[in-house]
Amino acid sequence: MSTTLQPYLKAVRQTLTAAICVENFSSQVVERHNKPEVEVRTSKELLLTPVTISRNDKEKVLIEGSINSLRISIAIKQADEIEKILCHKFMRFMMMRAENFIILRRKPVEGYDISFLVTNFHTEQMFKHKLVDFIIHFMEEIDKEISEMKLAVNSRARISAEEFLKRF
Amino acid sequence: MPDTFSFGIDPLTCHAWNHDHSQLALSPNNHEVHVYKWSDGKWKLSDVLAEHVQRVTGIDWAPKSNRIVTCGVDRNAYVWTLQPDGKWKPALVILRINRAATCVKWSPLETKFAVGSGARLISVCYFEQENDWWVSKHIKKPIRSTVTCIDWHPNNILLACGSSDFKARVFSAYIKEVDEKPNATSWGSKMPFGNLMAEFSNGSGGWVHGISFSASGEKVAWVGHDSSISVVNAADGSKLTTLKTDSLPFVTLTWIKENNIVVAGYDCSPAVFSYDGENVVLIARLDDSETKQQQGSKFSAMKHFRSLDNRATVESNDTTLETVHQNTVTQVTIYAGTKANCTKCSTSGIDGQLVIWDLRSLENSGSNSA
Repeated sequence: MSTTLQPYLKAVRQTLTAAICVENFSSQVVERHNKPEVEVRTSKELLLTPVTISRNDKEKVLIEGSINSLRISIAIKQADEIEKILCHKFMRFMMMRAENFIILRRKPVEGYDISFLVTNFHTEQMFKHKLVDFIIHFMEEIDKEISEMKLAVNSRARISAEEFLKRF
Repeated sequence: MPDTFSFGIDPLTCHAWNHDHSQLALSPNNHEVHVYKWSDGKWKLSDVLAEHVQRVTGIDWAPKSNRIVTCGVDRNAYVWTLQPDGKWKPALVILRINRAATCVKWSPLETKFAVGSGARLISVCYFEQENDWWVSKHIKKPIRSTVTCIDWHPNNILLACGSSDFKARVFSAYIKEVDEKPNATSWGSKMPFGNLMAEFSNGSGGWVHGISFSASGEKVAWVGHDSSISVVNAADGSKLTTLKTDSLPFVTLTWIKENNIVVAGYDCSPAVFSYDGENVVLIARLDDSETKQQQGSKFSAMKHFRSLDNRATVESNDTTLETVHQNTVTQVTIYAGTKANCTKCSTSGIDGQLVIWDLRSLENSGSNSA
């Protein structure tokens, strides 16, 4: 199963490197406005075709690009109930602090667990290749973190159950 | 070796040189235009032109009449004239657009200039003597989206424009108040104002980021978001040749010889391509990273252990790029020479750097240039 991880991440990295080429673009719909076109979606010619990269039917990445912004949505592998709850809580924790993350979106796109919004203002202040590195690193680490948390939950449950049942 | 000048950490949106490149006007991604003078081996800030209220998107400096035209997101354009006391005085131009202005260029004879805008039209402006102000005429049909780039034909009449509706077009911007009746060119003979002389689609779709007429005006080249470079030769029956490159998209270009173009963009390094009538081929990349790679192999072991010590990571990849520019190049302009024979060109980038590249080394290294 892990043999599909490297090609999957490589495909995501190459798509991101291409899609992160965004430039400053003033709104052509409302004067003096400058909004991320991928969120506003009023001018169809300014949007790129969305690309979905799937590792399997549970894990996929949706990359929607436009002339001045990019939205990346990730669906994380959740094999059982515990992983679902852990993933939901972990993502919620991060999304509530989206301002400090800068590129995180407060709500995930429908059908995905977490979304990033990268605009031209971010690529002007930060290196594009390091932003792509960060997202790939995030995707690699998130699975490890959730597995670690699941093990921790299970071991704590076992220890506390042992202590409790010692009385009987 | 390229000359590098850093103007801070803010991106340089656009830049323009005066006639003998002793002065430079640039905008650091805000509403101001900074004018620098070259003295004692460095650039000294000589004036700040602050009339725009929102980001400045285009600057052009007319070499003969020494006037600067600037346009911005606040839907305005100003023509700046140098006063005897050394200060620049602005004159407002009535563009009559209701969206942001995106690009501006003086015509070759400097009697008029064109401004592209997000209002899906081009404003061609000329000076009206009786009322002592700049007035504009609009070219609207059939532009369907923001005009991203414009360039003038050497005959002062024809105008090429690229837009985010994936098309590159050539219009006539003939204004009877300031222009003589033009002779027929390869693009057509009837040139009333606003006439669409030619329209080309950018392949399968890809916003046109930059467009440029060659020195003779017979050819027009543009770069698109699909990482392609296209050239149309009007003398050869408007034949369209496209090259799809495998690098990141280019955003700016200019002709440096009758058959060579220099392009730059998200790859952060300029490259020279040549058009021989049939194909567009890559001649050279101006950023030679070969010497940098040789030095890299010696120190990578030390870098590896240092990053292990500092951050407990085994990754040794650097944050800094190998190219001179550390972020996207926003504009490439001719520094010395003309479009027919350019010896040096300058690039400004989002990393706040302005770099001057010497193109004569291309000929010395024995590469084929037509």
